Amino acid sequence: MQDSAYNNGLGAHSDRQSLRMRRAPSRSSSRKYPHLDPSSDPDPDEDSDDGPTRDLRTIPLQMGLKRTVRQAQQMQTPIVSDGYSWKKKNKSLLKLKTVAIEILHFFTLWRKSMQKIGGNFGGGVLSYFLFLRFLVLLNFFSFLLIAGFVIIPSVVFRSEEGSSVNSTGREECMVYNPNPQGLVVFYTYFLDFLSGTGFIEFTYLFYGFYNNNSNNINVSYNIPLAYLSTAAFFLLFCLFCIIIRMGTTARVAVATGGSVEGSYSMLVFTGWDYSSTGGQATKLKQQNIYYRLQVDLEEERIKKKSASLTQCQKVSLYSGRVCLFILAFGFIGAAIAGIFFATNFSQQNSDQEGILGLFYEYLPSIVITGANFIVPLLNDQIAPLERYSPSVTVIMALFRAVLLRLVSLIILLYTLWRQITCEKTPEDCALCKYNVKVYQCWETRVGQEMYKLTLFDLIINFAMLFLVEIPRRIVVDNWPNKLTRWVGRQEFVVPYNVLGLVYGQTVVWTGAFFCPLLPLINTIKFIILFYTKKTTLFTNCRPALRTFRSTTSSFFFSGILLLGLFLASLVMIYSVAEIHPSMACGPFRIFNSMWEVVPVSITKLTQTTREFLFFIGSQAFSIPLFALSCLMLCYIVALSNVYKKSVTLLKTQLKLEGQDKRFLVRQIERFSRM
Amino acid sequence: MGTTASQLGKELLSEYQELTFLTKQEILLAHKRFTELLTREEKDIPNVRVPMERILTLPELKSNPFRKRICYVFSTSEHKDGSLTFEDFLDLLSAFSDSATMEIKSHYAFRIFDFDDDGTLDSDDLQKLVNCLTGETDDTQLTFEEMKQLISNILEESDIDKDGTVNLSEFQHVISRSPDFVSSFKIVL
Repeated sequence: MQDSAYNNGLGAHSDRQSLRMRRAPSRSSSRKYPHLDPSSDPDPDEDSDDGPTRDLRTIPLQMGLKRTVRQAQQMQTPIVSDGYSWKKKNKSLLKLKTVAIEILHFFTLWRKSMQKIGGNFGGGVLSYFLFLRFLVLLNFFSFLLIAGFVIIPSVVFRSEEGSSVNSTGREECMVYNPNPQGLVVFYTYFLDFLSGTGFIEFTYLFYGFYNNNSNNINVSYNIPLAYLSTAAFFLLFCLFCIIIRMGTTARVAVATGGSVEGSYSMLVFTGWDYSSTGGQATKLKQQNIYYRLQVDLEEERIKKKSASLTQCQKVSLYSGRVCLFILAFGFIGAAIAGIFFATNFSQQNSDQEGILGLFYEYLPSIVITGANFIVPLLNDQIAPLERYSPSVTVIMALFRAVLLRLVSLIILLYTLWRQITCEKTPEDCALCKYNVKVYQCWETRVGQEMYKLTLFDLIINFAMLFLVEIPRRIVVDNWPNKLTRWVGRQEFVVPYNVLGLVYGQTVVWTGAFFCPLLPLINTIKFIILFYTKKTTLFTNCRPALRTFRSTTSSFFFSGILLLGLFLASLVMIYSVAEIHPSMACGPFRIFNSMWEVVPVSITKLTQTTREFLFFIGSQAFSIPLFALSCLMLCYIVALSNVYKKSVTLLKTQLKLEGQDKRFLVRQIERFSRM
Repeated sequence: MGTTASQLGKELLSEYQELTFLTKQEILLAHKRFTELLTREEKDIPNVRVPMERILTLPELKSNPFRKRICYVFSTSEHKDGSLTFEDFLDLLSAFSDSATMEIKSHYAFRIFDFDDDGTLDSDDLQKLVNCLTGETDDTQLTFEEMKQLISNILEESDIDKDGTVNLSEFQHVISRSPDFVSSFKIVL
């Protein structure tokens, strides 16, 4: 065979339409590519629904040959009136589907920007921006949910209701005066906007503004119940979206019985991105791949070497690692203690006025951000001493940074909780069952803290852009000397940026119950962040040499997001179930706990609905349900194991067949020589 | 049949829509870009064949390290010189389009990587492939030992029947496990 195996005689026949000629090429090409044989009919049972159009496009042949095949298929298809109209219907359905996909494509947010970023900076950086886009959409739809069920009904029913608020409880607990008294200086508006107090406190932004309208007989919309169930449903909705996002990568792993983890063949066969244009981007990608291959090969050599260490060396390595681990945790512990003290100090001095007051209010946020900046830097310095392989180093650094971020948030919330439930001074809570001296409306206060954290995060990002990154680029570009070359241009480090996103989102989830407009603020904040980060990427950053595997990393990012969601749910469940709601503000002011609104509303339902709901909540229903879910879980795990085993079995079978084939070929050669 | 001089007829357009994965706008855009490559005399010839050098001036292909292999694979020329007609060009864009199936893409990827066109990927093919991926210049190429280690790793992972080469099914098996492949094997005009 002199000709290339693919084009045996095919090229010569491309212009001729003869059916006779069609058969000749298929014989020779089908030896190497049996599925390409155009004379064989595709499986009639499977493809009868799609029609002939689907089959033609999926045959990897030249255009001329596809045309001949189509003509042959059209001649073979019997023209029956029923089948004909069915195919026409399918054709129009297909056309509708393609039009719908085109419209959806048009509406995909920031599609061109994503292409540009991916082409120039690679998959790792692109995964950050895809994650950011996912969060923007998540926040926006959450806001629509909250607006539809809580905010708009509140607006509508507030105008009808007037100012009739049923006064229950003691007089001292009912005092709540959020509006500023007397003459207000102009700059206080700005300070109030940043800290959520003053003119902005008694608005739809915070919990305290919403009313309980269950007294109004004309209106049947139960706002407290709507508020509670919307919050619960909003968290479930976010959980659902995140799991769907994680699902695609996990599904491939289960079906193929192995991990999706990059291997050499995967990198070499699928590593090139054909949509990157421009000489610079190509060189970048080539450097990326080169570095990745080198790193992977080096890791393999290190692993082989470490497997052959002597006993003494192993002991010294592990003891060194333990010491450094304790040191890293020491750093984290010190940071946590610092945050704790800062929060306490801020609470004690919360009644200061003016700029100093603002500084004290923002002190916890400042300390948190400072700790989150310094401690990872310190950890990065000791990481080379631990002598892990590069991928493990990255994971360890991420894990420590995640711990620090979420624990700092937990500390802040814990301090607030101590204040609200008067851990230190129990006599303050005796009157109203919450600390009415400091917090007339504690839910608004919690909402304000989360609001401040969100705003501060955005301000810090802006400050970093203008005060650190742009000057750094100007200095490095215009004054080339040894120092600036060592410092170099900014590198877009994906993991830490993603952590910032996860932290911001966790704050929003924690605060959404107390500050219903927070998802909207977060949507706007993330949109601004997208454009800020994009600008910084293209103007200030040099491309990172160390790549991050995009598919496993997006799985990991979604996993951490779940952790944040879990934390936020804990906070919400605890405050709904345990803490007494403020009597002076909010939709739950007449209840003893926020959860109470559910039993009260259930008693208003009809007898049959009540019995049905009790049945669902009882043990007779929930225990079988639990058992059934466990069974489903076991079944799915068993299925995945079976897939794994069958994949291994089939692989061994293929190997054996290959050996058989070679044995037979050798026998044939031997016999033909005799 | 073939392309008429300067415009595509409606019949031809719908036929191309049926035979490729491209939408109407994409086909029209492809036609526009293809005719820009033609000289004035060539514009009147039906079924004109454009030499490879001119195809490679397209910005989407210019800096692709596999550009020459792509032209050879999709070319239907008898002289195996990589020249493309408009229909070959459409086949190329169809295989690299958004809606093409995984099977089509992996089939053509295999053919692109098969530098000696023998139907399997042996060590020479893999070596040329890795060199294309890492760069043409000397300082971006792996050393001899690294290349040997890499190729033996690749063969160990993907050569299931242990015959020393990677055939189409083994290649498609590796590709099917990668969720990134379909989105990265894309060229959009």
